[in-house]
Amino acid sequence: MVLLDVSSIIFRLRGGLELTCQLDSTDGPSVQQTLSEAFRRLCSKIRSESLVFSVRNSHILIWPNKGVHIIPDEVTENTPCKDIQHHIQAEENDSGKKSFKKKDKKGTTTSVINIDLMMEMTEPSHLSAPTLTRRNRKQHSVRMTLPMDCVASVPTDDNIGAVSGRLVGALCDQLADMEKVVLQHMKGTSLLLPQPLHFLLPEPAGLVTAVYPAGVPDSRLEFVRKELHGRFELPDDRPCFRRANAFHFPDEPYKDGYLRNPHTAVNLPTMENAKPYLVQGVYSYHHYMQDRMDDNGWGCAYRSLQTVCSWYQQQGYVDREVPSHREIQQALVDVGDKPAAFVGSRQWIGSIEVQVVLDQLLGVTSKILFVSQGSDLASKGRELANHFQAEGTPIMIGGGVLAHTILGVLWSETTGQIKFLILDPHYTGGEDLQLITDKGWCGWKGPEFWDKNAYYNLCMPQRPKTI
Amino acid sequence: MFTPNPRIGVKQVECLVKMGRAYCVDDLVEKYLVSLPTVDASYITGLLIGQILVQKDYVVLAAQTPQREKEAQSGGPTGGRAASSLDDIDLQWVSEHARQVSQMLPGGLSVLGVFLIHPPELSKEAQNTLRRLIFAVDKRISKGRLWQLKAEDVSERVMLQICSKTRKAICRTFDVRDPKCSAKPADWKYQSGVAGSWQALQCSVELDLGIPISETSSTNVEKCTKEGLQRWAKQIETGLCLINGKYLADNFDMTSGQKKSAKGAQPKLQAQILIQAAGLGAEQRSTASVLASSGFLTVKGVVHCRAYVYTNKPRAWQAVEAIKRDVMDTVSCRTEMLFEDLLMNEGDSDKGAVGGLQPLPLRVFAPVPGAGFCVCDYMFPDESVVDVRRRFKEMLDCDVPEETIDTSQEAAAEDSEECTNNGAPEIPTEASKSPKSLRPYIGVGIAAGVALLATALSLLYLDITN
Repeated sequence: MVLLDVSSIIFRLRGGLELTCQLDSTDGPSVQQTLSEAFRRLCSKIRSESLVFSVRNSHILIWPNKGVHIIPDEVTENTPCKDIQHHIQAEENDSGKKSFKKKDKKGTTTSVINIDLMMEMTEPSHLSAPTLTRRNRKQHSVRMTLPMDCVASVPTDDNIGAVSGRLVGALCDQLADMEKVVLQHMKGTSLLLPQPLHFLLPEPAGLVTAVYPAGVPDSRLEFVRKELHGRFELPDDRPCFRRANAFHFPDEPYKDGYLRNPHTAVNLPTMENAKPYLVQGVYSYHHYMQDRMDDNGWGCAYRSLQTVCSWYQQQGYVDREVPSHREIQQALVDVGDKPAAFVGSRQWIGSIEVQVVLDQLLGVTSKILFVSQGSDLASKGRELANHFQAEGTPIMIGGGVLAHTILGVLWSETTGQIKFLILDPHYTGGEDLQLITDKGWCGWKGPEFWDKNAYYNLCMPQRPKTI
Repeated sequence: MFTPNPRIGVKQVECLVKMGRAYCVDDLVEKYLVSLPTVDASYITGLLIGQILVQKDYVVLAAQTPQREKEAQSGGPTGGRAASSLDDIDLQWVSEHARQVSQMLPGGLSVLGVFLIHPPELSKEAQNTLRRLIFAVDKRISKGRLWQLKAEDVSERVMLQICSKTRKAICRTFDVRDPKCSAKPADWKYQSGVAGSWQALQCSVELDLGIPISETSSTNVEKCTKEGLQRWAKQIETGLCLINGKYLADNFDMTSGQKKSAKGAQPKLQAQILIQAAGLGAEQRSTASVLASSGFLTVKGVVHCRAYVYTNKPRAWQAVEAIKRDVMDTVSCRTEMLFEDLLMNEGDSDKGAVGGLQPLPLRVFAPVPGAGFCVCDYMFPDESVVDVRRRFKEMLDCDVPEETIDTSQEAAAEDSEECTNNGAPEIPTEASKSPKSLRPYIGVGIAAGVALLATALSLLYLDITN
């Protein structure tokens, strides 16, 4: 997972802006002109003195266009960003408990300062008489709340004045992007809501924002992504700008409850001349007893498969949700691999079934690596390192009576020494990252981890070439 | 000798608290009530005006119901006949008075209830009559309001019943939220200086509202306007309010740090209202809403808003609520007035009259003699302070010298005609050019009277969409 520089702070500005306009006619050019005019009006509103930024969970208010006026007085335009955090109170989460920020991650998360977009109604720049105007004309009244969402990742020493200036600019840029998207996807008077999404790209690009039309599936936006991949010089064989690739802000918990990438909390063991080769991107940890499903003793391969599926979903390759045990069984019945009675049973599956299901449900092909005895796994360093470099997908491994997920290897090309980063689906507890890493449910294992005498099949899913 | 038992003492205090609301009334109100001539008239009704607070209400003004023209001619409500009953009290007339008075009160001040001065033989009837009056008045003044009473708002309204002969006064309250409620005793106490100690709070609010008029059916016009204004009002209600550039905690005492010496001469506090740019989440739709409309209303310009809080440790939240409600009220009552006015003119001009640009009436303020607060009025372009002065007299029974009427808070329409709508050419109409007749107010005796006013809006809408 790409992490942001910890010496920076993300400012995230959100709020709805209401776009309204009156269409006298519904012919394309005139609608276009009226819409552009409405966007221009919004932009001048953003540039006006009425614009206010409200720092969430604090009493800080910033008027960025009023010579950067800030209240309370102890915060000024020259206050460094990092000091703003002292004014922010811990947010109460849904359960009413004070949220606790895990300190054990030693500052590996970047802090996010959330800002709400506000408008001042008072102190107008000039007095003008109140009037009521009525136009009697058949028209179409268009109204749409634009979900503005701008980010600025700034060094902690930067001052607030500079940041608020950047955010005003970002708002106007985003309005321009939204206008483009709305006009591009306009059909008659049907106007799609433009939705901004943020993506974390490798430096120097960092966090970038793209605006997509609501309701248009990723599959129909490939031309947009092509352009973005080109602009940011990204490889054109893997998705970077699908909606599923959107940046997940560190202050927002995943709503589904599954842990993401627990291995990032595990320290790398020391090994001379060795290099780690790890899973790329984001997966979720699936294990026994989740989803109100008691699969203790038989579901480990299903769970490992779910972890693999979660990777494909979260990398944006597939829209499909992670399949349940039953859906996995049904898929095996559908391809004729199992009899109908298999659905709803507690029968085990192995690496080959995992391969079949990935093909059937996700259209993903996998290579099978056969290892006749566990002790031979120690010599598979090169194959595994190549896999993680080229494909970067989690590997499901089955052997004896157990299934595991391999998330990476630490391998020395010179000595052949190897360790395996294992994610264990047999864990039956709750989603407690501390416990999971302390007890080794996710952790580095030596070659002795494998049963010397059992044979193993590794299902190595391949990455489709697509954006 | 009797030794008071302290335990019993405490209990009695609790009983008193539960017994009813306390009304702290300015001496001037007493003077006014005493001055009302009860010889000619068999009975007199009127309104009590002041501020509602959690513990007690402060009463600063009383104003008798204006006489209708025919009564004025015949000299009193019962025209010299001996009043045998209160049945001829006109609920609509009194509540229309209350509505118009409400429009003349800045934020924080409101109609608190009704008084009735009656001959001794009618004392039995009085309470029932007052009860009906209170409910009718409340219904009338809440209609058209853009905000709702909150659960924590005091919903008790006061009735004061005075016997014209004995001068004995009975004070009771009714809970307007409970139509079945019975009268509760309340404490009515005169005190000097209540009308003098008020802290003003003001702001100018920039309006820029666009309201599409749905074309589906003509009756929707009223709904559209109301909905449009309500959407805007919701933003004000949920907005953030700063006072003198500062965020104040709800229970902050607004007078803390002020010098108490200069009585009634406290500088006005400046309020600022910040709104969430637009509510997200409430309407998460993936396309723009496109409404076929037959017309479009725009309300633009700057309105001056003012509120008062009684200076006995006023809390920030009270001030904030008072000014926010004033913002909403001044817009809703002005648009309503304009519609009424247009309808009045429509009688003798063509149907297309409602269109183009109409200046909203200007809000003007005048200090109440002997009091530390102002009342307000709305002045149409063809009116002058003379009309305003007359209305203050008529509605509030209050003599305000013309030279004290402040017309400077809002810009007059002439100056800003060119900066109205962006680009869209206005359709010039008869009405926007022709001089308007006097705004109808009840004392001038409109033939059709109150009932016509009540239906004004819907009639108007029917006309303009045809």
